[in-house]
Amino acid sequence: MVKGIEKYGVPVVHMATVVPISLTIGANRIIPGVGIPYPLGDPTQGEVDSKKIRKRMVRRALKALQTEVDGQTVFEKDNF
Amino acid sequence: MKLELGKIKINDIQFAEKTYVKDHVLYVNKEEVEALVLEDDKLLGCSLDIARPGDKTRITPVKDVIEPRVKVKGGEIFPGMIGKVTPPAGEGRTHALDGCCVVTVGRIVGFQEGVIDMSGPAADYCPFSKTVNLCVVIEPKEGLETHVYEKAGRMAGLKVAAYLGEAGRDIEPDTLETFETKPIFEQAQMYPDLPKVGYVHMLQSQGLLHDTYYYGVDAKQFVPTFMYPTEIMDGAIVSGNCVAPCDKVTTYHHFHNPVIEDCYKHHGKDINFMGVILTNENVFLADKERHSDMVAKLAEWMGLDGVLITEEGYGNPDTDLMMNCRKVEQKGVKVVLITDEFPGKDGKSQSLADTCDEATALASCGQGNATLHFPAMDKVIGTMDYIESQIGGWAGCVNEDGSFEAELQIIIASTIANGFNCLAAKGY
Repeated sequence: MVKGIEKYGVPVVHMATVVPISLTIGANRIIPGVGIPYPLGDPTQGEVDSKKIRKRMVRRALKALQTEVDGQTVFEKDNF
Repeated sequence: MKLELGKIKINDIQFAEKTYVKDHVLYVNKEEVEALVLEDDKLLGCSLDIARPGDKTRITPVKDVIEPRVKVKGGEIFPGMIGKVTPPAGEGRTHALDGCCVVTVGRIVGFQEGVIDMSGPAADYCPFSKTVNLCVVIEPKEGLETHVYEKAGRMAGLKVAAYLGEAGRDIEPDTLETFETKPIFEQAQMYPDLPKVGYVHMLQSQGLLHDTYYYGVDAKQFVPTFMYPTEIMDGAIVSGNCVAPCDKVTTYHHFHNPVIEDCYKHHGKDINFMGVILTNENVFLADKERHSDMVAKLAEWMGLDGVLITEEGYGNPDTDLMMNCRKVEQKGVKVVLITDEFPGKDGKSQSLADTCDEATALASCGQGNATLHFPAMDKVIGTMDYIESQIGGWAGCVNEDGSFEAELQIIIASTIANGFNCLAAKGY
């Protein structure tokens, strides 16, 4: 799906836990997820902190979407 | 560690007044087995049925398959689950009732429970179409949480297998074999001129009903460790998972791991089988990275020349498989992978979710997406109610007469990723 959408010139951020698979399938902008059962958040941290994690990841994804990349890039931190 | 394994050939199961083995027939006291299962207050009902090879019988949804066994000398069967954890499995003497199985059946826990057909085209794909099966059909209490139901079903199967195994305690086995692996330095010195080979055994441990137990420890909670192969042959590992039926490693398959069996056949002839590195398939990237590093470290530390790696399940565990492959190869140890494939119904998709440059040798156990016609059967043990939602089925796949179409992955152990079955890939 990532490659199919990008083929039409629309950039995609792939947010998933298993980064090696994101790299194998050819995603260009990758954000590592928290875990397979809960990629965007962490219920073990409670609902309030889980939402903070989610918000931070979505903001990072929106920034990555607007960032020019030279080949496959994994955005592990917020400051780029 | 040295294990004597005696096999008592069982040709039939029959219900009787008491439970015993005579002239290769296992006689079973139905009431005692049902009472044993219903000791668990999570289960409301239990009924037993016998399925024999060639019967026009379908068993579904199947949870686990277990061979009845008893420890004659040494520890207790299924240590950490229903037996004491000490002394450990893998030593002493064990008797197995060879040719018969306990099959746990009942309303689905998740959606990944499979089908066993005792005859017809699907029987060719399933090892348990060729065994005489005592089916333990369980009925859970209303409103039970799924993980509680899963545990009740798992424990019921183990208890029944241990109970039946007792019938073989004082029977002289038809065959008696000895398996032994020595401590690392002694083992290395035993065959100094042969290549030192190890087995990297990946256990399903994704959680959410995808679990395996090592001496009673949930496999997602351990870090990679060394095991003597005889421990695995002797019940140290128990299945507790609802992974896709086709590559579910049942508790039966842990007893009969084909990689271990074949490595022992070659042990001292063309390889020196040094032992097993046990690892898991967790759902966090850090676990996958840390544990594949540890697998590679153990392979190097054991001085191995080559390893065989198997996985359980497909999808994200393919990444664990490839990480193990890459990191072990980078230590200078040769790797051969054993797995099954999922290229989609049309066969056009990439058949593993992940790959790496170091994966240059792979034995395929066939592919699970090919479809098959399952004819109607005279008898169903369990229920056909869930076929359309069991993995491999789809909405509308069941016909009015009880026949259905489904992918091979609905059949228990059809493409099991350790090579137990006969499917393979052909190169063109």
